[in-house]
Amino acid sequence: MLRNYKIRLTENEWIKPVSGVIIIFIMCVIISPINDQGNLVFLKFENLANILRQVSENGIISIGMTFVIIAGGIDLSVGSILALSATITAFGVMDWQLGFFLTILIALLVSSFIGFLNGVITSWGKMQSFIVTLAMMTAARGLALYISNNNSRDIGFGLGAAPAIFKIFTTSYLGVPFPVYIFILATILFLIILRKSKFGRYVYAIGSNEEAAVLAGLKVKWIRTYTFIIAGFLSGLSGIIHTGQLLQGNPNDGVGYELDAIAAVVIGGTSLMGGRGSLEGTFAGVLIIGLLSNILGLHGIQKDFQLMLKGAIIVAAIFIQESGFRFKLLNIFNFNKKITS
Amino acid sequence: MLKFSGIKKSFKGVEVLHGVSFEIADGSVTAIVGENGAGKSTLMKILCGVHTDYSGEIFIDDQKVTFRNPKEAKDCGISIIHQELSCFPDLTVAENIYIGNEPVNKIGFINFSKLARDSEKILKEFKFPYPSNIKIKNLSVGWQQVVEIVHALSKDAKIIIFDEPTSALTENEIKILFEKIRILKQSGKAVIFISHRFEEIYDIADDIIVLRDGNFIGKYDVKDISRSELIKKMVGKELLETKQNKAARSDEVIFKVNNLNVFKKDKKVLSGITFNLRKGEILGLAGLLGSGKTELLKFLFGEFRASHTGEILLNNEEFKPKSAIHSLKKNIFYLSKDRKAEGIFAGLDLINNSIISVLDNYSSFGFLSERKIHSLVMNQLKMLNLKFNSLHQPIQTLSGGNQQKVLISRGMLTNPCIMLLDEPTRGIDIGAKEEIYNLVKELSTKGISFIISTSEIPELLKICDRVLVLYNGAPTAVLNTKETDTKNILHYTFNQQEEYA
Repeated sequence: MLRNYKIRLTENEWIKPVSGVIIIFIMCVIISPINDQGNLVFLKFENLANILRQVSENGIISIGMTFVIIAGGIDLSVGSILALSATITAFGVMDWQLGFFLTILIALLVSSFIGFLNGVITSWGKMQSFIVTLAMMTAARGLALYISNNNSRDIGFGLGAAPAIFKIFTTSYLGVPFPVYIFILATILFLIILRKSKFGRYVYAIGSNEEAAVLAGLKVKWIRTYTFIIAGFLSGLSGIIHTGQLLQGNPNDGVGYELDAIAAVVIGGTSLMGGRGSLEGTFAGVLIIGLLSNILGLHGIQKDFQLMLKGAIIVAAIFIQESGFRFKLLNIFNFNKKITS
Repeated sequence: MLKFSGIKKSFKGVEVLHGVSFEIADGSVTAIVGENGAGKSTLMKILCGVHTDYSGEIFIDDQKVTFRNPKEAKDCGISIIHQELSCFPDLTVAENIYIGNEPVNKIGFINFSKLARDSEKILKEFKFPYPSNIKIKNLSVGWQQVVEIVHALSKDAKIIIFDEPTSALTENEIKILFEKIRILKQSGKAVIFISHRFEEIYDIADDIIVLRDGNFIGKYDVKDISRSELIKKMVGKELLETKQNKAARSDEVIFKVNNLNVFKKDKKVLSGITFNLRKGEILGLAGLLGSGKTELLKFLFGEFRASHTGEILLNNEEFKPKSAIHSLKKNIFYLSKDRKAEGIFAGLDLINNSIISVLDNYSSFGFLSERKIHSLVMNQLKMLNLKFNSLHQPIQTLSGGNQQKVLISRGMLTNPCIMLLDEPTRGIDIGAKEEIYNLVKELSTKGISFIISTSEIPELLKICDRVLVLYNGAPTAVLNTKETDTKNILHYTFNQQEEYA
C-alpha cells in the first residue's frame, strides 16, 4: 500500500515535463553559441523574452487544448479559429472601423461560439470530437476566407485606420513583450480553474470515465461543451495576438497549429485517453518546443532540419512519458528492488 | 471421449475446484449445471486452455492432453461458443468461417472460389438459407450463432462447448440452434451445453452433470431425474442458513411500483413489476442472468432509456425516472454492477471519487472548499472502516472491496433515501462482503431503504427483509426471507413454481 502511494508521487504527471524543461534549458546553455563579447547568446535577456513571445500564441491555444483533451476529446479546429479571429480583428479595426474593444469582443465571441458548436455537435449529436472538429476546421477556414474575400488585410494606423492602442501587441513592458503577459496570465487563471474549481474536477471526471460520470449525476454534455468553448475562446485570443504581432490578418494563417498544440499538451504528460494531465505540464511542453526551436535557430539550422528534429523529439518525449522510462532504466541497472520495496 | 480426472484449481490460495472427475461420451449432449460459483466456467476455461495452472489430468480419447494456451486447445479440437458472439460483422459468412485458416493460392492471396465452395458445402449440411457471401451483420443472431458453429467445425472440432448460447436468442432461433446441435451429435461430436434454463436442458441434453461448490455431485440421465430433484442436487443438503433477519423498522411505504412494463424498441424488457418498499427495508432482487435485475434498477434510476407503462410512486407522489441527475435530486442513488466501467474514476484520488456527486454543496462561486471536503471525506471513509494511506492515492490502488466502499461513500454523501445496489459484492473477497452487508444493515436502521440485486442467494437470505424474484423480466414471487430458503428462491428463479407447489 505504501509502495503504491510512493510510486504515485514520482509519477505526478507534471514532474517529468517540468524536469524536462530544466534539462533542456541547461542543455541549451551548454551548447549556446557565444557572441563577440564572449557572452552566451542564448542566455541574453532579449533572447529569453523572445522565446516566450514566440511560444505565447501556441501556449494560449494549448491551454484550451489541455481542457479538451483531459475531458477525453480533441479539437482540430483551433488553427482555423485562430485564422478566423485574426481575420475578423484585422477587418474590424480597418474596414469596419469598429474600434479596438468592440473588435476584440466580436472576435472572441465568434471564436467562442464556434467552440460552442463543436461541443454541442459532439455532445448532443453523439459524434466523435475528432470528426466534428475536423469538419469545423474546414468550415471555419472557409468562413475566414469568405469574410476576407481570400485577401489578407494589413494593419495601418492613423485616421480611418487602426487605433493607436492596437500597437500594444508589439510593445514591451519591462523588456517583456505584451503577448507574454497575456500568455502567463491566461496560464495562471486557467491553472486555478482546472485545479481549484468544481468545473475542473468535472473535466477530469468525464475524461476518466464518462459512464461513471453520468451515473454520478454530472452534466457530462455541458461540461464537455464548456471545454470546447474554452478552446475556441483561447484560439480566438491567440488570433487577436497573431494579428497584433504581425500587423496583418491573414485567413490562411494558423495551418497546422492544432498539431503544435496537441504536441505541447502530450509532451506535457496529458493522456490522449483523457482523465489525466495538467496545465503545468502543458506549460512545460510549450516551453520545451520553444527552447528547442530557439537553440536550433541560433545555430542557423535550417527550417527543414528543425522540423525533422521536432518530429523526433515529440516521439522521444512521449516515449519517456508513456513507458515509465525511468523505471525501465532502473530495471536495466537492477535498482528496482531498492526503489519499490 | 473427454475425461476429467481429479481437476483442482485455486485462485490466490482459495481452492475453487476440489478434484473434479467425470467423462463425456462422443455423440452426446451433456449439460453442466450448477449455481453461480459452482465452478462451471472455471472448468471450461481449463478445458479451453485459458487457465493453465491446475492440477489433475484431462484425457481426450484416452490420450493425456495439457494445453499451454487457448490455441493449443483449439488445435486439439476443442471449440467454445460463447454467450457473446465473437464473429466479425463486416466480413462475409464464408470469410468468418475460415478466418485465420483461409485457403490461399501460391502467392499468398485468398482463393475466394475455394473459400466459397468449401463453406457452401458445410453450410448445406446445416440447411443455411443464405448465400455464403452475405455479410454477418445482416443475419439474425441465431444464424450468426450457426456460422460460429460452422466456424468451429471447420477446424475439425471434436468437442464443442456452448456457454449459455441461448440468452440472446428468440424462441425461433433457439429451435434452429437445437436442430443444429442435434446434427452435431449425430455426427459423433461431444457437445457440452451450459445453461441456466431447465426447459432447454431437458429439451436438448442426454446427460446432466451437476457441480456444486467446486465438487462433482453426479452425472444423471435426463430421463431419470426430475427438475426438483435436480435443484436439490444443485443446492445441496445444507439448506439451513444462518439467517439474521430483522423486522422492517417502519410500515411507512416510501416507494411503490405498480404494474410496471418497460419496452425497449417494442421489445418488452420488464413486465408487470409490482412491489412496495418500506422505509428502512432491504429488498432483494433474485434472478438469473438476463432476468432483468439490472434493467429494473437502471430504469428506476432513470438511466435505462425506454418507454414504460405503469405507476411509480415516491413518497406518494408520482415519480418518472428521467436521468441520473433527476434521481439523485430525489435522493435515489444507484451503484452499478460494473465497478470499473461505470463506477470508479480509476486515475482520480479517493477524495474526488467520493465527493464527485455533491461538489455543488461544497464549493462557493464555483471554487472548492478543499478543507471542508477533506475533513468530510476523511470522516466518511473512516466511518466505513476503510484502510488507506492517503486521501490522495488513486482509487485504482485499492482492492475491489475498498473501491466499493468508496463508491458507497459517494452514495451516502448524496444523502439518499433509497439506494439501488446492483451486485454490490461482485468480485470482492469474503471479508469485504461481510463488511459491506453489515454497513447496509446499519444504514437501513437509519431509515435508508435498499434494493439489492445479487446472484448469490445465501447473501439475499442473510440481509434482506423480502426478496423479489424475476424470471425473464417478470416477477415470479415476492418472498419473505423469514419464511423461505435457498431452494424455494431457486425454484422461482427457474420459474418452477408449479412443480414446487
